[in-house]
Amino acid sequence: MVKRLKNYVGGRWVESTATIYTPVINPATCETLGECPDSTREDVDRAVQAAQAAFEEWRRTPVLNRAQYMYRFKALLEERFEDLARVVVEENGKTRDEARGEIRRGIESVDFATSVPVLMRNDGVEDIAAGIDETTVRQPLGVFAAITPFNFPAMVPLWFLPTAIACGNTFIVKPSPQTPLSMDLIFELLDELDLPEGVVNLVHGGKDAAMAIMEHPGVKGVSFVGSTPVAKLVYETCTRHGKRVQAQGGAKNYIAVMPDADMTASVKNIMGAAYGCAGQRCLAAAVVVAVGEAYDPLREELVKQASSLRVGYGLDESTQMGTVVSAAARERILKMVEQGIQEGAKIALDGRYITVAGFEDGTFVGPTILEDVTPDMTVAREEIFGPVLSLMKAKDFDEAVEIINRSHYGNAASIFTSSGKYAREFKYRVNAGNIGINIGVAAPSASFPFGGQKDSFFGDLHGQGEDSIDFYTDRKIVIERWI
Amino acid sequence: MTALNTFGAVLTFAIELEARLHDYYCAAGRVDRAQEADKRRVKLERVRRESVLEITLEAIEGLNAGDYPLNLEDTTPAGQQANERTAAQFYAAAAPKINVREAQRVLERCGREHEEAAGR
Repeated sequence: MVKRLKNYVGGRWVESTATIYTPVINPATCETLGECPDSTREDVDRAVQAAQAAFEEWRRTPVLNRAQYMYRFKALLEERFEDLARVVVEENGKTRDEARGEIRRGIESVDFATSVPVLMRNDGVEDIAAGIDETTVRQPLGVFAAITPFNFPAMVPLWFLPTAIACGNTFIVKPSPQTPLSMDLIFELLDELDLPEGVVNLVHGGKDAAMAIMEHPGVKGVSFVGSTPVAKLVYETCTRHGKRVQAQGGAKNYIAVMPDADMTASVKNIMGAAYGCAGQRCLAAAVVVAVGEAYDPLREELVKQASSLRVGYGLDESTQMGTVVSAAARERILKMVEQGIQEGAKIALDGRYITVAGFEDGTFVGPTILEDVTPDMTVAREEIFGPVLSLMKAKDFDEAVEIINRSHYGNAASIFTSSGKYAREFKYRVNAGNIGINIGVAAPSASFPFGGQKDSFFGDLHGQGEDSIDFYTDRKIVIERWI
Repeated sequence: MTALNTFGAVLTFAIELEARLHDYYCAAGRVDRAQEADKRRVKLERVRRESVLEITLEAIEGLNAGDYPLNLEDTTPAGQQANERTAAQFYAAAAPKINVREAQRVLERCGREHEEAAGR
């Protein structure tokens, strides 16, 4: 019997009023893992009301006690770590290690939230005027929500929920309907914490539920991660409705490789950046720009290492690359590769028609490399979100920087070099929110904000780090005189 | 021959190796060694959970499960010594291939413990 998912509202698992349910498919085995309700505005309204009702009691819960809930949450996540990783593999298709890495980073965000008693402290000045003291206090705002993507179904919600509630807000998560099971399990753990009813809520669904969250007057702010067109829509809708919003969009991340880089070691890391999570992450390396004489040895090493990656079902520990999330995603990726070829790119490694024994219907795309890619081609400009690496040439460092900065995205960029001079110039001049120096996946840890510029981010305050404390609190100024 | 080509594959093999040694020593009546194996298993499970660093996951080469067979039928002192040596060899080969220092350190320590046990 396939599990029909419920929403978690006001401390209880409740049936959605949805009439439509979407099957949740394991992309490797094609097995139906569950059915996800397409929750309605009514469902969202119930969740917002529950979260609003819980807010007053929760904000008055001492911050040290709120932090204690986070310690207990962390303990439960550690206890169920392997189960969570398995669910992520089953619903998303990534490898076990990638899923473990995702859960680990999610737990890092819970660790960060335990520091809220320190991070919420503020400052003050005595005698700002004669006999008058002025101080600031941070206060929670009310109900926040997160609308999260399929590619990191456990980690991304955890970027937001722990800090938001530790700051004294109440929260609603709407996970991707493609991968809702990780959050379902995480809410089982949250249920064990005995938080006041309504502090955390889970509403499954798609566009209708998302729109209802963004337009609901009871929601103070929204955190979003997804594609650029949707991020832009989320930003515009939320601001139109007077909400705080942080909307993280798509990406086209470039890696520059200098001739002085250690090719074998660099490519080993680039493999993870390009093909980790089957290229389905907003920090995935999409284009490698070989500078000058780096091209030939780089191309050779890229093809050699990429062709030896073992593609398979993520639950097999020896699998180094899993599936893409769905047949539709696979279709879109193949079309983009075809378009690249039509626009003049050549295929140096073709993973389009790979099959995996025992999983013949799985949505696998093998590591693919396109070469002779130029900046004007679609594959160089638009997000493929799959295991496809485009290889480009630049005559020198300056041209590489110019190519990278021409992108309308600005999520991440990396350089592989042994030169401190180039590394410094790169981080100084490249317009991207996360910069990697000899690191292909420039993913900030939970105590740093997750950067993003241009069409990769819409908003002012980023997710994670101290930005998240600013996002989830308001600073009230108190001017005090006793007469 | 199963390739131990990922961080998880190496750690899971180590965890299973210690679990098998635990059962082996229980059968051999060596409660002390069974406890040591179990302690290492728990430690390795923690390492697999805590030391997986998503941004530096890299392929591992040249390590195969089939190169480290345990003979669990032979519970004689000589058989125990041979199994300890095999385990020590596995850890000695595996540790340098792991690119997270915390994990590497634990594997090195497990290797040392097996080496010492082989000498006892």
